[in-house]
Amino acid sequence: MMPTLSAAATFMKRGDKSHSTPGKRDTIPTEPLRRDALIDFGKLPRVALLLLYGAGCLAWPQTPAAPPPNKPPKGFAGAGGDYKEYDPATLERGKRTYTANCAFCHGGNAKGGESGPDLLRSITVLHDENGELIGKVVLNGRPDKGMPKFNFTPEQIADISAFLHDGVRAAAERSTYKILNVLVGDAKAGEVYFNGAGGCTSCHSVTGDLAHIGAKYDALNLQQKIVMPREGRQVDKATAVTATVTLPSGETVSGILHHMDDFSITLIDAQGDYRSFSRDGEVPKIELHDPMKGHTELLKQYTDADIHNLTAYLVTLK
Amino acid sequence: MKIARAALTIWLIAFPAWLPAQMLNPELLLKPPTNAWPTYNGDYSGRRFSTLAQIDQSNIKNLNLAWIYRANPGETPGAKVGGEGPAPLPGQSAGNPFGVSIKATPLMVNGVLYFTTPDNTWAVDARTGSELWHYFWRTRGGIHIGNRGVGMYGNWLYFETPDNYLVSLDAKTGKERWHKEIADVKQEYFSTPAPIVVGNHVIVGTGGDSLDVPGFLEAHDPETGDLQWKWWSEPLKKGDEGSESWPDENSMRHGGGMTWIPGTYDPELKLYYIGTGNPNPVMAGQSRRGDDLYTCSIVALDIETGKLKWYFQTSPHDTHDWDAAQTPVLFDGEIDGKPRKLLAQANRNGYFFVLDRVTGKNLVSHPFLETMNWSKGVDANGRPIPNEAKEPQVPGVLVSPPSGGATNWPPPSFDPETGLFYVGTSASYSVFYLTDTDPHPEGYGATERSSGGLGNTLRAIDYKTGKTVWRHDFPGGGTAGLLTTAGHLLFAGDGSQHLVAFDPANGKILWHCGLGGNVANGPETYMLDGKQYLVVGAGDSLYAFTLAR
Repeated sequence: MMPTLSAAATFMKRGDKSHSTPGKRDTIPTEPLRRDALIDFGKLPRVALLLLYGAGCLAWPQTPAAPPPNKPPKGFAGAGGDYKEYDPATLERGKRTYTANCAFCHGGNAKGGESGPDLLRSITVLHDENGELIGKVVLNGRPDKGMPKFNFTPEQIADISAFLHDGVRAAAERSTYKILNVLVGDAKAGEVYFNGAGGCTSCHSVTGDLAHIGAKYDALNLQQKIVMPREGRQVDKATAVTATVTLPSGETVSGILHHMDDFSITLIDAQGDYRSFSRDGEVPKIELHDPMKGHTELLKQYTDADIHNLTAYLVTLK
Repeated sequence: MKIARAALTIWLIAFPAWLPAQMLNPELLLKPPTNAWPTYNGDYSGRRFSTLAQIDQSNIKNLNLAWIYRANPGETPGAKVGGEGPAPLPGQSAGNPFGVSIKATPLMVNGVLYFTTPDNTWAVDARTGSELWHYFWRTRGGIHIGNRGVGMYGNWLYFETPDNYLVSLDAKTGKERWHKEIADVKQEYFSTPAPIVVGNHVIVGTGGDSLDVPGFLEAHDPETGDLQWKWWSEPLKKGDEGSESWPDENSMRHGGGMTWIPGTYDPELKLYYIGTGNPNPVMAGQSRRGDDLYTCSIVALDIETGKLKWYFQTSPHDTHDWDAAQTPVLFDGEIDGKPRKLLAQANRNGYFFVLDRVTGKNLVSHPFLETMNWSKGVDANGRPIPNEAKEPQVPGVLVSPPSGGATNWPPPSFDPETGLFYVGTSASYSVFYLTDTDPHPEGYGATERSSGGLGNTLRAIDYKTGKTVWRHDFPGGGTAGLLTTAGHLLFAGDGSQHLVAFDPANGKILWHCGLGGNVANGPETYMLDGKQYLVVGAGDSLYAFTLAR
């Protein structure tokens, strides 16, 4: 329910400004980056880059490629920020104890069963830290509600507590949600669409640029590349928006679009130099070229079946 | 309100000298502001239209920076400190992952600006930008994404914290008077609204979408902080009105419907209007089949009792996080030749709605987003009909707008002189994937992958038809909150760190100024010492402008 658009940009803005000297780069950020976020990616260590992209996950759930940046202070990061991480052995023990003793009433996934309530939405569980509140209920039972006592050791209670807290975390921490299966389309229909209505062959060839694409990417990433070929904040020169600026003198400057608003335009020219021009209405004249325009246009035309079929087809191009 | 006014008048006549310098005269809350900005939207209507006209189209080229105030949040030297949480680690208070962004619209009362960021409240001299005091709240947690500001009653200020306390401060000193817990941070509630003060009610709402908790709106006593009434966004039990829109009690008691945007108020009808949040689980609807009332709804509540007078649901059985938490704007106008009391909202789901605010009857429903693809049109009552095929699915469905919406919380503006409703909008798509196929999903239950932005636009909408009369497409970035003035000016941020003035009649750009960050709140204006000030929050700073002499 909260707005999500600004978080990544806000984080980017906090990037170290000492890196803001423009210069040569192999890849540049796409144009929604703001001027104050002008970080020279080429000069940042790779790890820092990953962290920056990780920050993007806070705003838009993306491929969980990178861990979140510097685990945020407890309680500040939003949903999921306050959740402990447990080692797998603890969780496994907790699950075993839970399944053997509690699942009968509270359900195998602790979301409630025949006679016991949902434990993942239990106020007691949510206020528990390490089993101190859960333990009281488990050791004493709730005779009025038909819950017997369980003589668990403190370790067993801590394990069950960990198992339940991890279940709460799994519901609340949406950046960890797993996409289940995108491979439901009809590859034949996808091929027909690729060669026909989709107009894909005007730019792509399955024996050329897309040869063996199904071996390079899994189905989910292929599908994401179909609907958003420019995923993330970096683009290569082949997919970047380019601009040509014609000055009143007649001189023209072309390059990869870095930023444009109503009052200025900035480019990275062929030499890798940062070029910036003021805008005043129609002056200077600006022509933009977006090689990904075809993908953008298709967003308005695709049916969901078209997308699923295309994915199913491209997956076969091993 | 008449009695209250009469009582106030008598009180003012009897004790005029008792009005301390900083105190808010409640009369200011009932008329459009000129020498004050006494509540979140400037007045109760939500129009964000100022009658001030010293700054106008002819002289705006002389608009100059008067001062900048840079907010330094955290447990700074000299800050007054409160709160139930532990002392922050060095750098922690200012270092939350959302950065420092002034989303609050400052109140301006008797020459002092009062505003917030999460855990922080400041008083700043409205003439000079000098800090008078700073209050810092030690938090117990909660999402620190933003805070919309303070409410004021006499000498007292009120704000909400991410860990869900309503805190009252003495406006003179910043000293805490009391704090009351309004929701449980352990259930992932977190609070961002600016309290709205109406009569002797401090209206507070809350947010939180991670663990399927019910939403509510509360009125508190301004002196004691005691609860006066509480309105739940969902029916409490089977058989209650609206419960037929849920499959069972369990789903409605975990059904969401947060109240995270300040509402608007009609003093004559004594109705408080607010748009409620989305249902929960947020994007997986299989355990809550039905319309899920009163989520994603514009509701009218009796200000004295909190009882529901009417509702209009904007997104029945929402599964895309399209809460109705956008300002419901109140104005009077003509529809089909008949004068009416109206309420207009540009909704996150891409529809523009106009309702009769006396009865809740729908008068206009018109999509303003050309890419919007989730609806099969509207029913006889103007309510959008969702296309079930566009609910999140395991292999993904392409939907516009994404969860972030066609628009969002940043305040729109209505200019009675042009009759146009202004709003910043965003055209994008996302692929929505159902990730939790359990019959009882929890949390969001689905995820989305962006398919890219198709651009952000400032729109002027004719309220009579819902049609966009003019639009300005921003080449890079989007809009924040808006302000219109009788100087025939429309102020907006452009998402590229500029504050821009437009001609509200046609969208022509008249003036702009580069700032140190993106405009993050709604601009405001007030008159002091015969000078009209324009104040806007961008990044971590407030910027004030006046005309050069």
